[in-house]
Amino acid sequence: MRLLAGLGIIGVLLLFVWERVDIVRVGYRIEQLKTKKIALQREQDELRVKASALTAPDRIARAASEKLGMIPPQPGQVVMVSAADPAPAAGAGSADVHVARNDRFWRNP
Amino acid sequence: MIGKDFCWGRRIVLGVLLLAGFTIVLGRLVHLQVLQAAELSVKADRQHQKSVAVEGGRGSIYDRRGKVLAMNMEVPSVFGVPASLDNPSGVARDLARVLRVRADEIEKKLRQERSFVWIARKVDPEQGRRLERLSLDGIGTVMEGRRYYPKGALLSHVLGFAGMDGQGLEGVERRYDPYLRGEKRQIVLQRDALGRTVFSKGLTEQGPAAGHSVTLTIDEVIQYIAEKELDDVVSATQAKSGVVIVMEPKTGAVLAMAMAPRFDPNSVRGLSADRWRNRVVTDAYEPGSTLKIFLAAAALEEHAMTPGSMINAENGRMTVAGTVIHDHEKAKWITFAQAIQRSSNIAAAKIAMALGEDRLFRYLKAFGFGERTEIDLPGESTGLIKEPHEWGRRTLASIAMGQEIGVTALQLASAVSAVANGGWLMRPYVVSEIRDARGQLVAQVTPQVRRRPITAETARKLRTILEGVITAGTGSKAAVAGYRVAGKTGTAQKIDPDTGAYSSSLFVASFAGYVPAEDPRLTIVAIIDEPQGETWGGTVAAPMFRRVAEQVLTYLGVSSQEPMKLAFAAHTGIEAGIGPGIGMVR
Repeated sequence: MRLLAGLGIIGVLLLFVWERVDIVRVGYRIEQLKTKKIALQREQDELRVKASALTAPDRIARAASEKLGMIPPQPGQVVMVSAADPAPAAGAGSADVHVARNDRFWRNP
Repeated sequence: MIGKDFCWGRRIVLGVLLLAGFTIVLGRLVHLQVLQAAELSVKADRQHQKSVAVEGGRGSIYDRRGKVLAMNMEVPSVFGVPASLDNPSGVARDLARVLRVRADEIEKKLRQERSFVWIARKVDPEQGRRLERLSLDGIGTVMEGRRYYPKGALLSHVLGFAGMDGQGLEGVERRYDPYLRGEKRQIVLQRDALGRTVFSKGLTEQGPAAGHSVTLTIDEVIQYIAEKELDDVVSATQAKSGVVIVMEPKTGAVLAMAMAPRFDPNSVRGLSADRWRNRVVTDAYEPGSTLKIFLAAAALEEHAMTPGSMINAENGRMTVAGTVIHDHEKAKWITFAQAIQRSSNIAAAKIAMALGEDRLFRYLKAFGFGERTEIDLPGESTGLIKEPHEWGRRTLASIAMGQEIGVTALQLASAVSAVANGGWLMRPYVVSEIRDARGQLVAQVTPQVRRRPITAETARKLRTILEGVITAGTGSKAAVAGYRVAGKTGTAQKIDPDTGAYSSSLFVASFAGYVPAEDPRLTIVAIIDEPQGETWGGTVAAPMFRRVAEQVLTYLGVSSQEPMKLAFAAHTGIEAGIGPGIGMVR
């Protein structure tokens, strides 16, 4: 009985020591992961700054004109179409008016 | 017997010794654990624990579509420990190659008799990585937060900038500093015998929260359009400076606030305060004829005039209080509407006289002149408008022409918006919402009415008159194909600093208007300071208004409601395939 009690006490003590050692071990692991997380966050921030700089409107406009030879649309080349306006009846001969917008002003010759 | 007694004697001695030993140990334990417990546990904590002051990163600034305009990044700062260096000149050469700084400057720092020297603060992350690979003895890095403005000079005057220690010094960075700043907190770390961190005291302890993020009402694309067009005009006219404001007239939200010249907030070192001053809110100028909008509003609201009221324009020449007023276009009898559309100074003086000093002053104050607009930006000026009892004999006529009154570009934009939206003076604002580091909404800004200077009926009558400025007046170059535009030109003489009188060569050219006139989506104010060559608001600022309006309306997808000439038929030959009328709608 005494032997069992002694073993029990030793077991509890070992468990206590193991727990303390494990807390320290897990503590190191947590710190490692925190360091890794911070490094990844820094990398993410760096990439966000780069992405933001690369998508700056003046850079896009410069690339479009200098590398791709694009030019801004000239007056009259872009006409904004109102989705709210009712579509004219089919066969009314005004299909092109849908494209050109300004429905109410268009009259077929 | 003797042997037995001796054996017992030894046992007793041993027992006493052990007892004494235990008593000493126990006594020591009681001394350490009970009597000195408090003092020693403080000492132990001091050795095992490390308390560090940490601050969360500064919050980001976004445009209205969530594009990053300013953000913080942890970057390395390089330091040296001179005492541990064997070969300072060799190390300085290696550092100079990576940091792109003169080697002799670094060597000078490394030869100082100090235990710690900064070599370079907040360098690029790539430079930090190269230094790590070099692994130089006596050289180390620590991470510090650095503010980045990835779009460079875009919106620089509105964003402002933050200092080396992360405090906002100008613009939104300054105005919203209490929100943008990260939380400051002391964190206690447990350390092992080697000084390594085991864990924060209490596993649940979180780091300090990052600062709130701020979302602007400004759209980076609209801002770019405004800046590009402004730069082109300032460069072409060799002007001193220029300003363009794009605002939503119904809410007061600022969509773009462009200034030229600009600065790069990433490198403000060495720049004078003059370069980063936000002229839109700080500088007052004499607006010239754009002020006739509000003169007309007051006259209509007070029924002092109707659009058809006839005014004698005195053939372009009239004397007021000993000073001759000229019109650039000679006319005899013109209507009130024509007086505004042709920007007649003589007619404006007569309208002001019909109104009287007190009524004119009251309406100008009601439109927000002479007081801050309460925009959420620092350094706003009130402009300058004298009380009627301070007015001279000529002041009434001068104010009618936009002289003897100082207004800021923002006051002008805000007042024009009031005319555009049916008479409501809105508080202009640049920040729409603030969110915490987890994305939770902290504050949301809603449009705020300040007062109503004119009725909807007056605003409607004024709109018809201001549309006439474009269709039959001085602002024809502000016309935008497919849209109805209302606005007013302004060409204000500047005071010559040498003579103190109005200069005949220094002007401020401006155009203030809104589009589409029948359902305004944009108020645009364009001001060019001291253009060379062409100096008229109608020839310098009005075309810039048109170019900005054309692009922004297309970008926002605002439908045109007016007939317009289509261009593609001429280029593609589609005209023949669709019908003879396609080249010109209607």
